[in-house]
Amino acid sequence: MNRPLRIALTKGRLEKDTVAVFERIGYDCSSVHEKGRKLILPIGGANIEVVLAKANDVITYVEHGVCDAGVVGKDTIMEMQGKYFELVDLGFGKCRFALATKKGADFFGGYDIKTIASKYPNVARNYFESIGMDVEIVKIEGSVELAPLLELADGIVDIVETGTTLKENGLEVVREIAPISARFIVNTVSLKLRQQEIEDLVKLIKANI
Amino acid sequence: MRTYELITPEGTKDVLFDECLARRDVENRYRKIFGGMGYSEVITPGIEFYDVFNDGSRKYSQEALYKLTDAKGRLITLRPDCTIPIARLAATRLRDVPMPLRLFYVQTVYENNKLLKGRSDEIVQSGIELIGSEYKRADFEVMSIAVKALKEYEGTDFRLEIGDVGYFKELVSMLGVSEGVAEDIRYLIEAKNYPALNDLLDSIGDTPVTEALKKLPALFGGVEVFDKAAKLASNDKTREILDNLKAFYTSLQKLDLGDRLSVDLGIVNRTDYYTGIVFKGYLSGVGEAVLQGGRYNRLLSEFGMNAPATGFAVNVNLVAALVRKLGLSPVQTAPEAVVYGEHGYCIEAISYTMELAEKGIAAENAVFDSFEETVAAAEKRGIKEIYVVSDNVKKLEYKDGEYRE
Repeated sequence: MNRPLRIALTKGRLEKDTVAVFERIGYDCSSVHEKGRKLILPIGGANIEVVLAKANDVITYVEHGVCDAGVVGKDTIMEMQGKYFELVDLGFGKCRFALATKKGADFFGGYDIKTIASKYPNVARNYFESIGMDVEIVKIEGSVELAPLLELADGIVDIVETGTTLKENGLEVVREIAPISARFIVNTVSLKLRQQEIEDLVKLIKANI
Repeated sequence: MRTYELITPEGTKDVLFDECLARRDVENRYRKIFGGMGYSEVITPGIEFYDVFNDGSRKYSQEALYKLTDAKGRLITLRPDCTIPIARLAATRLRDVPMPLRLFYVQTVYENNKLLKGRSDEIVQSGIELIGSEYKRADFEVMSIAVKALKEYEGTDFRLEIGDVGYFKELVSMLGVSEGVAEDIRYLIEAKNYPALNDLLDSIGDTPVTEALKKLPALFGGVEVFDKAAKLASNDKTREILDNLKAFYTSLQKLDLGDRLSVDLGIVNRTDYYTGIVFKGYLSGVGEAVLQGGRYNRLLSEFGMNAPATGFAVNVNLVAALVRKLGLSPVQTAPEAVVYGEHGYCIEAISYTMELAEKGIAAENAVFDSFEETVAAAEKRGIKEIYVVSDNVKKLEYKDGEYRE
């Protein structure tokens, strides 16, 4: 038999949602539930093994072909880009990219260059480029909501789910940038060399989302 | 100030011993294949004017190019591609040579990659260009040589994939959208991004053409692809392209490729001088295409000479890394013998080493100043024989923990 199809899952919620899909297909995912310290986990009932990784690393592994496929959020894809096939919108892990400012602030007014804080500098840059606005971007690693409160930035570009965190900090969404959900991505060569297997799996996944 | 004198620039590395042997082994094998088919090796400059890569169908993104300036302040770039300089060369210095031209090359290209992505900025490419024939015979020749190169190493598994850039261009032209939208569609098909492609095409409308474009990223695989494509929107040109591609597919099967030959109608590269049939080669175990090629009938005309052409390039780094991993390339071994010259016989020892080398014995001249040091070093490296040169030559062999006559 061929070596197992290796799939990288983004640790955390996307991992759980993907495992739920696999279980609906009928695969045995007990190795993922009882993973302990193991990092490469065989899936029962299928020629598949799963690797758990941070979102950015999922893309790196798939791009290099050391994993054949991966499950990663559209947010990471938009930030990292790279070369791989984005085959399926898995529909879970839904949220959105948005631009938020302090409530009532006139973000688009005046001629001063605005400063944007974001964990996603590429997404922020591309968005402002697309609307023809020149801004300064500051990369922040932790709670981005803090930046406008501390007056480091005029606005933030971040993932918004319910908007509760924004509201609690006196911020509000002023522009929607893009919807986000989990995606099934595939290495460009794996899709060609293992076409049948991957197409069959994609069919099963689509039927069980 | 921080200095960078102990490391090499990001994306480059020193290539040593086994890795170097593997690289050269791949290069030499390809040289033999290409030379054997009547191709002549050429070397183009490592640096070229920026303009060569920034006009017509040769648009490279600024970020991808290494740039510097020459003494006159003109913008120079490290060569990012070998086909374009060869087209320049053919259209200038070789313009009066009878066609067809068969050229090959083994040289580095440079690509300014994003930092810390684990990608090489310095890549050895080896490839061929067949210039001056518009006929299928030329494509057959180039593709057959591509197959030969792909299966050069026994123990590797390959795949050759063919497509035609014209198919997508025709479909999109039937759609009648702006260049910007066409580029968005192209990008999404290249990324096989079905979700976004479907959204975009739905917003354009529900026509047989949008239906066909939606299916395009999935139109890859074996001969069944042609049947699927035949059911989609078409015009005279797309039918001609599909017939032509199917003819290629059928003919190439004479090379006994079986399912190693496949079709992808969703090959839609951008920065690209290709005008018709294109192909990619894959090796099992390598995460990206190792070979890329196709027909480029207008590139030479951009340099002032109307000549059709076809060719391909192989990424030697990727192939060398794979065959080394699989243990298919030569490895460095310790020499069989060391030659030690007694005091006063240094030159004689060197001459004797050369004599051994001519006989095909891998020997090394000892540069230690005493016999004891020579023995210690030879033992450490597992060298079996020591020749001691004075008025005569004594041969010592390693047995039971010491070197004896």
